[in-house]
Amino acid sequence: MSAASASRRRRSPALPATVARRFEAIVFDWDGTAVPDRAADASRLRELVERLCSHGLHLGVVTGTHVENVDRQLGARPRGPGRLHLCVNRGSEVFRADGDGLRLVDRRQATAAEDAALDAAAAATVEALAQCGVRAAVVSQRLNRRKIDLIPEPEWQDPPKARIGELLAAVEQRLRDAGLAGLPAAVELAEGAASEAGLEDARVSSDAKHVEIGLTDKSDGARWLLAELARCGVGAGLVLIAGDEFGQLGGLPGSDSLLLVPEAARATAVSVGAEPTGTPADVLALGGGPDRFLELLADQLARRRRGELPELDPDPAWTLTVDGVDPLFERVHESLLTLADGRLGTRGTPLGGDAAADPGCYLAGAYTGTGPETALVRCPEWSALSRPRPAAPALRRRLDLRTGLLRQDGPASSLLFSSLARPATVALRVQKTPWLAPRRESRVLTAPGVCAALADTRRDGGLERLGAYRSTEDEARSALASAEAAGFEQLLAEHREAWAARWADADVVIEGEPELQLPVRLALYHLIGSVADEGEAAVGARGLSGDGYHGHVFWDSDVFVLPFLAATHPAAARAMLEYRIRRLPAARQAALHLGRAGARFPWESAGDGADVTPTLARLPSGETVAIRTGELEEHVVGDVAWAAACYLDWTGDDLFAAGPARELFAETARYWASRVRLDADGRAHIYGVIGPDEYHEPVDDNAFTNVLARWNLRRAAAVDDLEEHERANWLAIADALVDGYDEASGIYEQFAGFFALEPLIIEEIAPRRPIAADVLLGAERIAGAQVLKQADVLMLHHLLPDEVARGSLLPNLDFYEPRTAHGSSLSPAVHASLLARAGRYRSALAALRVAARLDLDDLTASTAGGVHLATMGGVWQALAFGFAGVRPAGDRLRVEPRLPPEWNALQIALRFHGTPLQLRIERQGVSVTPSRWTVERADEHWEVTAT
Amino acid sequence: MNKVLAALDNSLAGTAVVATAQALAELFAAEIEAVHVPTNGDRSARGTAEAAGVPLRTLSGPVVEALVEAGEAPDVVALVVGARGTPAGRRPLGRTAAAVATALRKPIVVVPPDAAVAGAFRRILVPLEGSLSASLSPAWIAEVAPGRTVDAVALHIHEEKSIPAFTDQPQHEHAAWSREFLRRYLPSGLGAVRLETRVGHTAELVPRVAEEHDCDLIVLGWSQELSTGRAPVVRGTLERSRLPVALVPVQPVTKLEDAIAIPPARTVERSSATSSRS
Repeated sequence: MSAASASRRRRSPALPATVARRFEAIVFDWDGTAVPDRAADASRLRELVERLCSHGLHLGVVTGTHVENVDRQLGARPRGPGRLHLCVNRGSEVFRADGDGLRLVDRRQATAAEDAALDAAAAATVEALAQCGVRAAVVSQRLNRRKIDLIPEPEWQDPPKARIGELLAAVEQRLRDAGLAGLPAAVELAEGAASEAGLEDARVSSDAKHVEIGLTDKSDGARWLLAELARCGVGAGLVLIAGDEFGQLGGLPGSDSLLLVPEAARATAVSVGAEPTGTPADVLALGGGPDRFLELLADQLARRRRGELPELDPDPAWTLTVDGVDPLFERVHESLLTLADGRLGTRGTPLGGDAAADPGCYLAGAYTGTGPETALVRCPEWSALSRPRPAAPALRRRLDLRTGLLRQDGPASSLLFSSLARPATVALRVQKTPWLAPRRESRVLTAPGVCAALADTRRDGGLERLGAYRSTEDEARSALASAEAAGFEQLLAEHREAWAARWADADVVIEGEPELQLPVRLALYHLIGSVADEGEAAVGARGLSGDGYHGHVFWDSDVFVLPFLAATHPAAARAMLEYRIRRLPAARQAALHLGRAGARFPWESAGDGADVTPTLARLPSGETVAIRTGELEEHVVGDVAWAAACYLDWTGDDLFAAGPARELFAETARYWASRVRLDADGRAHIYGVIGPDEYHEPVDDNAFTNVLARWNLRRAAAVDDLEEHERANWLAIADALVDGYDEASGIYEQFAGFFALEPLIIEEIAPRRPIAADVLLGAERIAGAQVLKQADVLMLHHLLPDEVARGSLLPNLDFYEPRTAHGSSLSPAVHASLLARAGRYRSALAALRVAARLDLDDLTASTAGGVHLATMGGVWQALAFGFAGVRPAGDRLRVEPRLPPEWNALQIALRFHGTPLQLRIERQGVSVTPSRWTVERADEHWEVTAT
Repeated sequence: MNKVLAALDNSLAGTAVVATAQALAELFAAEIEAVHVPTNGDRSARGTAEAAGVPLRTLSGPVVEALVEAGEAPDVVALVVGARGTPAGRRPLGRTAAAVATALRKPIVVVPPDAAVAGAFRRILVPLEGSLSASLSPAWIAEVAPGRTVDAVALHIHEEKSIPAFTDQPQHEHAAWSREFLRRYLPSGLGAVRLETRVGHTAELVPRVAEEHDCDLIVLGWSQELSTGRAPVVRGTLERSRLPVALVPVQPVTKLEDAIAIPPARTVERSSATSSRS
């Protein structure tokens, strides 16, 4: 750095507030912004770029020139975690520069036809100018563009940027002398020529000396970078865009205005250029040229060196904000604000604690206790400060759903995350705070089966804490050492990127009802964070957000949570299935204990796969009653098999199909085969069960259980290499199983004798729905009445639409929905799905809204104990299966959408048979991206296939 | 030292009123004093006080105003009054008791004439309707007897309007719901608290549950409104209960930080006549 430039920097006014903050990425122009000219010394710039990248900042150059011109001057080779990209050749090429050198990562290559069209357009432009009396020349044929020199005179052969004003005046004069209205007229001629040559969406621009006709421009570079930043988990709100030519030049928009693509709408844009005609309203004019730009970089470096907290992208569609501490709802808020990485969940408790808080930290699958008392271990906390302070009313907690970052501002400002990239590794940074405790040495805290290794670092009055949770001390210490070696910024970058990857395959966008967007994303956030994607995943009813329901695993996980993961992140669905597979021995033992064959999975499961269902319960009426779900709610056996089939349908995982799935199908089928009883007429029955509608127990021939068992038997019989007699037996039993279907009415009887019960229509009786009808009417009355807790027969239409009679959805919906109290939190989402299928949009949306806001509005008054993960899974199913109408059908996806009039579009990211796709449903039809997918209309539905 | 006042009149409730005041004084480690406003002789009151070994102070002036003024004294933590003169008397409260209860901005313990009063309050019932206002009533005990643990039974009645929307798995739901309910609506903490729930009408069920659980005292928050249609739970409980009922004034609040459990005592201009003991 020269003394003169250092002096200039010292004299520069302080940075305005809009840029005096930490950014996570900087996108910048090259000539005139980063360097004054191609000969300038860029060593200071190189140093800043490399250091900033080492502190996690991403940088991207967007320039019209070719890569050699930039790299020769910059020569930066940052080693990360921040990335440096060079978007060169007017948006046609992208290079990445890192420790391994410089490599091309993306190139737009013109086809031969496009090249010919470009040549033709350039020649026609020169010809048109000549006809006006302007001598022009095609001076170079660059990648995807043609450059026409408007002033091919020796004096203006290579004008420096500083003479841009003179150059512009000379060119304008030259054009006007020929009767043309300045540069815009020349551009118009080129646009006309390009169109005439057959170039669609040609990019025509001018830098005063040239008119360029191309297939790409700087906006393509900006778009690529913003997409790449999104892949890194950096939203546009965290991006600084810097250029020097945003304002008009000769009546045309400045070249850097092309950086302001719609995707960058929330970015901060600054100009360091002279901008003689001013800047657009959304661009801050800083002036000062490249020196000022270097100051910006130096300021960013200083912020990172002193450990300034990363900002969150202030996007309301992605941010859950809780202001203050409300003693009534604090525990609810902590559940909603949970940070979870699939292995470890940490409630969003105020960092300094609060009397109303209920902190909690849970490691998936870590249980303590025995029998029904088995419960998730409450792990040692990592996010509490050792000198707690009461949370001031000014406390603000913001959870960025896009990146799984929790920012707390108030008594202390902090950022916390639980690494999705390194599950059960945690990080906390607290900004300078006077009351922080002195540094504590590395320490190991333990709970039954859990070790937490934590290490604190003090910096500039702030605190940085890293931690790792494992089952043994050695593993925890090793994981912590690895985290410390990576450092906070590296962990943060990995974590952001991991979340971005998950969202890319899972996001759902509802256009037309913004109020639903955040609740839906909150649901997906918790679904993603609650399930590990390696080993086995024990997914309790409340995920990792609380110890409600003791963390026991119910059918909720198999039927409500797993489908989302099967369709977006199969590895996590596979881990959930692995949990069941590893507990097959316990399930076999349970079947054997009852004198039956095969495997009987428990209604409530925890560590070892034994049934941990409590046998007594207090009711709101004050009565203590026997709980028989552990004994009788056996549809869970078929639910596990259904989950395996769901996973296979979405993934086509042959290895799983040939191995564990085969065993799951067979063992569950064997259980059903030994469970049924044949009557004198040879019909098969399943006596004494509880269906999903738990208001009635025990019942015989529950339609849901019987049809699920029938499906289970047939699914198992379809597996290769079975003993023929076993296959035949299963098929015979399946054929003999009664299902309560009445062809005349099209209605399934929920269980034997249901139609004879007191015909109460809860829709007409109850003051409102959802309502706990057993509390309203009493358990005894409800047991004798046609009042349902939740979808029972209709669960068949939801889970097994091909197993029920064709056309039976509507009659069963008409019959059962008015009789359903929706007293289970699982019910509204399933009904939303089915009502959507039936085209009853108003009711469907009403049910969807209840489900989507169940935890946000604490509709159960129990979200304090954790979020209702199954309801969240149900919300996704309602959107995907109900409204979008997506179902796997062999090697293709069948899409039969039901778009409510209130919505303009519904967009769902999915992963089918290993390949991601974005499905977009609009009123006029269905489209799919990327281009390797095709969509075809077939009668009333669309078929999506990979080419 | 804190003081519990026992308001004695010439009624059948006197003995129960003194016994209740003694039990309350024991709970609060407070003094007890009987007060009486003579209207038709004072032999009954004096006899009751003497029998219980409690000092009696005679007040002058209109009965209601005199009792309210005595009750507003800064050291008084509760005033105990008889609900009515005889078991067949005006329900839920006699005229004097009602007037004092609605005027005095302190907890008032109403004792039915046929009350079954225990020698000490071993267990109290705290009905909680699930509102912030009602949740403030137990704070009275926690504040007056800090650190004193009380065997408390919290009671919530699900009335039709408050029937839960969901019950999910009852073997887990009730415990989870109860834990959160107590954290929300019994934040003051009273030591060993358990939550009972019922479904039905609160006014009918409160006295019943109090008896079922062998409680000695019922503590109710109220807004000091006894006009027609107001305070149905207070009215119903007082009509049916054979236990003393503590009515704790609470303000309607929507935010906990806005809440003040017991309004600050009104400044009373004292004359020498009213402040001296008889």
